[in-house]
Amino acid sequence: MTTQRMDNSYNRGRRVQDSFFIGYDWILVGSGFLLSSIGAALVYSASKQKLFDAGISTDYYLQRHLFNIIVGVVLALIVSRFSFRIARAYAIIIYGVAVFGLMVVLIPGVGKSQGGAQAWLALPGGFTFQPSEFTKVALITLLAMVLAEKRDQELIPHDKDVFFGLALAGIPALLVLLQNDFGTVMIIGATLLTVLVVSGTKMRWVIGSISTVILAGYIASKLNFVKDYQLKRLATFFDPNLDPLGSGYNSLQARIAIGSGGWFGKGYLNGPQTQGKYVPAQRTDFIFTVSGEEFGFLGSIIIILLFSIMLYRLTKIALNAPDKFGRLTAAGVAGWFAIQTFENIGMNLGIMPVTGVPLPFVSYGGSSMFVSWMALGLAVAIGREIDDRITPSNR
Amino acid sequence: MNPNEIIKLKTGHRRMRGALAIFLAVLMIYGLRLVQLQALDAPQLAAAAAEKRTRTLILPAQRGEITDRKGAPLAITVDARNITVDQTMVQDPAGTANAIAQITGADATLLQADLTGDKKFKYVLKKITPEQWTAINQLKLPGIFSEKTSTRIYPSNSLAASTIGFVGGEDRGMAGLEFGFEKELAGSSGEVTVEISAAGRSLPSGVASQVTPQPGIGIRLTIDRDLQFVAEQALAQKVEYAQADSGTLVAISPKTGKILALVTYPTFDSNNPQDAIATTINNHALVDAYEPGSTAKVITMAGLLNEGVANPATKFTVPPVIKRNGKTFHDHDPHGVLQLTLTGILAKSSNIGTIQASELMGAEKFNEYLLKFGVGQETGMHFPGESNGRLASLEKWSGTSFPTFAFGQGYMVSAVQIASMYATIANDGVRVNPSLIEGYVLPDGKFQAATESLKTEVIRPEVAQTLREMMETVVSDEGTAPLAAIPGYRVAGKTGTSQVVDQNCKCYGNIVIASFIGMAPAEDPEIVVAVALHNPKNGRWGGLLAGPVFKEVAQYALQQGNIPPSTGKPMGYPVKW
Repeated sequence: MTTQRMDNSYNRGRRVQDSFFIGYDWILVGSGFLLSSIGAALVYSASKQKLFDAGISTDYYLQRHLFNIIVGVVLALIVSRFSFRIARAYAIIIYGVAVFGLMVVLIPGVGKSQGGAQAWLALPGGFTFQPSEFTKVALITLLAMVLAEKRDQELIPHDKDVFFGLALAGIPALLVLLQNDFGTVMIIGATLLTVLVVSGTKMRWVIGSISTVILAGYIASKLNFVKDYQLKRLATFFDPNLDPLGSGYNSLQARIAIGSGGWFGKGYLNGPQTQGKYVPAQRTDFIFTVSGEEFGFLGSIIIILLFSIMLYRLTKIALNAPDKFGRLTAAGVAGWFAIQTFENIGMNLGIMPVTGVPLPFVSYGGSSMFVSWMALGLAVAIGREIDDRITPSNR
Repeated sequence: MNPNEIIKLKTGHRRMRGALAIFLAVLMIYGLRLVQLQALDAPQLAAAAAEKRTRTLILPAQRGEITDRKGAPLAITVDARNITVDQTMVQDPAGTANAIAQITGADATLLQADLTGDKKFKYVLKKITPEQWTAINQLKLPGIFSEKTSTRIYPSNSLAASTIGFVGGEDRGMAGLEFGFEKELAGSSGEVTVEISAAGRSLPSGVASQVTPQPGIGIRLTIDRDLQFVAEQALAQKVEYAQADSGTLVAISPKTGKILALVTYPTFDSNNPQDAIATTINNHALVDAYEPGSTAKVITMAGLLNEGVANPATKFTVPPVIKRNGKTFHDHDPHGVLQLTLTGILAKSSNIGTIQASELMGAEKFNEYLLKFGVGQETGMHFPGESNGRLASLEKWSGTSFPTFAFGQGYMVSAVQIASMYATIANDGVRVNPSLIEGYVLPDGKFQAATESLKTEVIRPEVAQTLREMMETVVSDEGTAPLAAIPGYRVAGKTGTSQVVDQNCKCYGNIVIASFIGMAPAEDPEIVVAVALHNPKNGRWGGLLAGPVFKEVAQYALQQGNIPPSTGKPMGYPVKW
């Protein structure tokens, strides 16, 4: 039986090392570690010259980034220690907290604006937090909970539940849209779609929600909900030479930086485009260009391979999850990481429009780092509870 | 579990595997895209990157200094700084603007506007002093940078401004000697090709190639700053007193042709040429020509004496008016029949007598002397826009040309040219081309004297001496310029009250140029000073207006040069008979 084979192949990757870490997916965790380590190196290279020019210690951003990684890993460890079913129990509360955060951020004077989006909450110690990042996890667990709710035996989500779930998901999506964070809305939408598809729901729901999103996007642009610069970004995506110093600038500079790296790169801390600060948002959204220029094809393909491994392991966990909630949650996390990676690397490579979306585990930014690691921890927790003797078909 | 449900479960698994396949496929496409960018397109993209990064910067050459004949600075170039801003780095535009405004005195509101925005590079202030930049730099204002530059400073402000000129925005000579000697002063700028960052700063490692700049050559003028100052004060005071439109003064050392003072008034400040009234920028003593009038009668006299057709005592019967080719010529004061010697004609500045005397040598000879004295000829100074004067060639002379030219009307000279004619008489008949350039200071500090001026003998030394003695009567109580006399020194000179052609009627109107040109000591002149006031409205006569200015300037020059007072006495030629 195919499912049996799959189960065995999953167990091959799970190396039981000691009793504390029993059932931990070390390949998944390892790919996260490696991506974060590479990210730290890239953040240092991307920020060194800027800090030097400003007369600030050149490892200022590196230190903060390492701190973010440690916090993220600790959060992941804590999450992985609990049963993933707790997330199911608290899904509504998590959702409520996320919506509350999204509303607070919109209060003028409380939320901070950066890069056109009012998405940040100031925290003590100069740190900021982005509720919209947290919303991604909250919505995955919420939708998984709703679609798996009490009807595990029915296997296919009831139409009522699908409608209810999508309606609940629509509220935070709208709030994020109000922050002008178009990129995050798209990521959330695509992630939820993944959960929906994997839940085995009827195709009409899938097609229906895609159409709704397109229609909503159309109406939003007609009602001037979508800002001019967002439309311009989209237009320059199709022709970056339209405005090479304006909206198309990032995309063009990113491709020049990556292209000039060649096979093996210019060497660490040695990329003229990177050190010359030609690419904007280098340590955040365009961090991939740093690896492209300084580590060349070799370094960049390693990042892509690490993401492939991560997505593969997450899908394995989803396929073998002990219950439907676990399956949908793991699938949601996989879908989210996948789509966000596609968008980020894609815009770095000039094959996706430019939006302000970080590369998970790699980009500088606390909220993204914390939430990514927490989601990873959640997936690890699900993986820990896979019973080797039970195949999905027995459940 | 019924089979139907298992099928549905498999639907979910199938979709999940499908999703994984799509994920991996997308990442594979990205891998291929990487190959495309980093392998196939890499050369073009790398070239595009290099092109964006390298920039050729001009290394400006230090502009040469302009000094007076003793090396006192008249135009110097000092280090300065331009303030630039990376607007994206400025955190507090208002505070930053206030801080800069406090140090530089610039307008804080304008500064704030320059600091606000999202430009990576913009000029905020140009040419502040290095001290001001040091003060700003100490504040460590984020986003505020500077670049080295230089600025041209004229320490004596308006002194000799119309001669020195001024520079424009990029320290390029725009007028005067700054313009005329632009090539020498500017030197040649170098250039350096560097790799620079997006913010426009050069990368630490990136000097690709460099051409070192060649500093400009310094110019030492013949102008004496102190004499120039005295002359400017004296002329300015008289122009104001006489309510004249303008005035010029030329002081020449006759033995060398070197111009010691060259004044035009009103003037301007070379440091702020944008505030200058346009007409004051030109050096009117060089670029304008005017009809010299009575002051040029000495040329007629010089010709007559040198040709031997008359001597200082030659007697003339001067009628009240004289008619030549249908035109009636008058003297400035109506008179009956006068019995004057040649000396008397010069002393009284009689037009009629000069016409009578000139006929003793004829038009052809007279024309020769005009040319030899430099009328209508180049001075050799090559000052920008310099006038050579104007003299019609002999064959084009009309019937009234000769008598008109004889008393200095009808042809034109610049103030420097007429001063040079007097310098020729002062230098015993040898004309030395006038000059403004003492020499050049090469970048290595060595001084290189200017090539010596051309010398030509115009009249014999004894004729020049006789002529000077005749001219001494002008400054006597019987002459037209007793106010030009300097106690202790013999002074020779000639007044002029020349008429200016009114451009409306093309006739001689009421506008005059009141002038006096003199030399001292008359027996062996060391200084020639030519003073002219244009369109005086308070007073009219050259002797009264220009004479005292001559006296003040010449007296200062004699004292400055430690010239011993005159001992001999003039021959005292008779004026009448």
